[in-house]
Amino acid sequence: MRKLLLIGTMGALLALLVSACGGSSGGGGTISVAKEGESPKTANAACEEEPVAGGSLVYSRQLETVTLNPREIKNGNGDIFAQEMIFSGIVRNDPNGTDKVVPGLAESWDISKDGLTYTFHLRPGLKYSDGSPLSAEDIAWNLEQFADPEVNISLAGVAAGMESVKATNAKTVVVKLEHPVAAFLYNLAIFPAFIVDKAKLEAEGAAYWKHPVGTGPFMVKEFANGSHITFEKNPYYFEKGKPYLQTMRWNFVPNSNTRVLALKSGEAQLADGIPFAQVESLQGESNLGIQEVELPQAVILIANNRIKPLGDVHVRRALSLAINREQLNEAVFRGTGTVPNSVLMNFELDASDQEVPPFEYDVAKAKEEMAASKFPKGFSVKLQYPAGSDYFKQMSLLIQSELKEIGVDLKLEELESAAVAEKWFGGEFEMTFPFVGTSSDVPVPDEYASFYALPAAELNGFKSYWTNKEAEGLVEKFISSTNEAGRKAEWKKIQELFNEEMPSLNVMDFPLINGHQSNICGTKANGLGVDQLQETWIAEKSS
Amino acid sequence: MLVYLVKRLIVSIVVLLGIALGTFLMIHLIPGDPAKIQLGIHATPEAVEQLHHKWGLDKSWPEQFWLYLGNIVTLNFGQSTAFSSGITELIGSRIGATAAILIYGILIGLLIGVPLAIFAALRQGGVIDNAIRVFTTFTFAMPPFWLGLMLALLLGFELKWFPVSGYESGLSGILRTCTVPALTIALGLLVVIVRNLRSSLVTALGSEYIEAARARGYSEFRVVAKHAMKNSVVTTITILASLFGFLVSLLVLVESVFQIPGAGTLLVQAVSKRDYQLVQTLVFLSGAVVVIIGFLADIAYAWLDPRIRLAGRS
Repeated sequence: MRKLLLIGTMGALLALLVSACGGSSGGGGTISVAKEGESPKTANAACEEEPVAGGSLVYSRQLETVTLNPREIKNGNGDIFAQEMIFSGIVRNDPNGTDKVVPGLAESWDISKDGLTYTFHLRPGLKYSDGSPLSAEDIAWNLEQFADPEVNISLAGVAAGMESVKATNAKTVVVKLEHPVAAFLYNLAIFPAFIVDKAKLEAEGAAYWKHPVGTGPFMVKEFANGSHITFEKNPYYFEKGKPYLQTMRWNFVPNSNTRVLALKSGEAQLADGIPFAQVESLQGESNLGIQEVELPQAVILIANNRIKPLGDVHVRRALSLAINREQLNEAVFRGTGTVPNSVLMNFELDASDQEVPPFEYDVAKAKEEMAASKFPKGFSVKLQYPAGSDYFKQMSLLIQSELKEIGVDLKLEELESAAVAEKWFGGEFEMTFPFVGTSSDVPVPDEYASFYALPAAELNGFKSYWTNKEAEGLVEKFISSTNEAGRKAEWKKIQELFNEEMPSLNVMDFPLINGHQSNICGTKANGLGVDQLQETWIAEKSS
Repeated sequence: MLVYLVKRLIVSIVVLLGIALGTFLMIHLIPGDPAKIQLGIHATPEAVEQLHHKWGLDKSWPEQFWLYLGNIVTLNFGQSTAFSSGITELIGSRIGATAAILIYGILIGLLIGVPLAIFAALRQGGVIDNAIRVFTTFTFAMPPFWLGLMLALLLGFELKWFPVSGYESGLSGILRTCTVPALTIALGLLVVIVRNLRSSLVTALGSEYIEAARARGYSEFRVVAKHAMKNSVVTTITILASLFGFLVSLLVLVESVFQIPGAGTLLVQAVSKRDYQLVQTLVFLSGAVVVIIGFLADIAYAWLDPRIRLAGRS
């Protein structure tokens, strides 16, 4: 039995850590990977034509969908992406990938001058996918559920600041806040605020989540635990003419080689989680398109500031300067990563590389920083990283050899992914890669800036145990500021302060990598990397 | 016979209790809190406490173990924390696929292995014997996830005889989707079948009763197939039964490569999500299957072999 359990544990290592990050959605618009000289346009000219309705496709997905209950996420993006097909919020993240919020079930909204009252005007004639009408009361009830931490187990924090919600007439819902929340619309656009069918949920109880009825572009046809989920077009979807696809099937395929094989053999038309190492060879296939999906996602290396050397800002700067990120990008991410210019993952609001330069690699400067620190002779420190993902081992080994140059002896400790995250959470680490990818739940920096700077987030500086009064004040102001232009300037200040203080290290910003058959058009993702399959259509096969 | 059976039964129950205690302790001793894993970075102490209460993890270990034993006896395994559905229902929906590739795999293994073993035994020390030895050792030594992938590449992608992954139920669906996974399992098992069967056949073929059969002028086919095989196959099947533990680990890997929604992949997910109840149940059930198969094999053995059957009497 012992062997069995061991084998089970080993198998578990193969599975990637499933967005322990609260099920971050993920990402910005898509960019087709093109070699230099080629236009970064889509591979198939037929996709330039008018979209055609009809047809069905198979999507081979890395993360299994475990539950369709948006307020009790079990498997990160495996759950969230499917829920985005079935449900809709009153507002949405832009399907074109910008960080703007666009109308969802509400066609417009007004925000009072003090930023405390949001009045949403609903689209006329809204219906659930079974044809029954959706009322303003339903929406008000859903937003109350969203604000109730006993119900919204997934992400109760995003409802912070909500005071009351009321349907004032058949087409209007008014939300009142206790204090201004700059990211409030963004918070309403993500999964815990999705609108579910109140009457059906109350009548059916937990069984509702097996066949939920919502207002998203698709509806569930069959949900087979551990195997697949099939969808059918929602005839009552509020965007006229969409979705284009009649049906689709998502297969859950955790093994990345199997996913790639399914895509190459034509058994699947879409596949996600393409391994970095295979990007180049797949680009060579004429019938495939490989896409990089930009989203606020990074490899974050947490430094526990309570460990003596790491509490010294000179040491933290030296560590960052000693890491050759360009080389890491080539060796590990095969050039798909981006050298960051922010301690946080990349946001559209970030200052450009011209204004705030990306982290540089300069061993001489790193040595100067070490000399200026209280540990000029160097020190020894332990780095924990998750097993089961090749690139964390490679990355850790590369960093280990680079830090040797500045007298830092890095001791590597490989742990099962759940254990790494747990130790990070408990503060039982010196340095750690707590998550395979750390991504934001919203396309603006408010969430992660709070995690790092605000004691109220109860995350001890994202477990770096870094505290800084100046940053705290700036972030407090930033997350409650309702002036768009002012926020941009305020954010630059925070970004610079974070970079100078370096509470932890952002090693690399990196995209999601998806593949599709070249006759599949309109493969878009929103600013969080969530597939917008209502935009997807199938063109005639062409060369 | 009865004394023997009662003894075996008592031993089996003790082993099952040991398995229950062992799995319980092991999963609780591995670092990782299911509530924190599910909540991730949003795990405020209150939210963690709330989930602990909901899942009964705020009770003491002895209490949790006692409840777990009660569940086993009543065959009510409770709720899965990672999948928000009943465990009995969850395992029920996954076990069919696992049983399909397992049984199919053993059948293919026997179908390939038995003739190979006979050839090897008849040409002892010859080129064929050595070639078979090399081949079976090779397929055994290859990691199943690699071997499976190569088979999927060859039979699925190049030759397009089978799909590269996926699972369909029903006989034709199983034949279509499970042949390659079952072949992967069969190739992993082959060395065990061939080596064991070959050595018992070699012993049997050298014994006096085979000499006698040959002396009577029976055909070589009849000598091997009827006389030698009868005595050799029993030990091979017993060994297969005792290999069930090894098979489970093989299943986990094969299911993950071929995207088979079986109990093996369920176990992997349960471990990584620290779904205590589900891991305990799955490990306990596979342990129980090993014990039950062992128990049945003992009975069969005793029934076949008077030396064991009569041992209790003296």
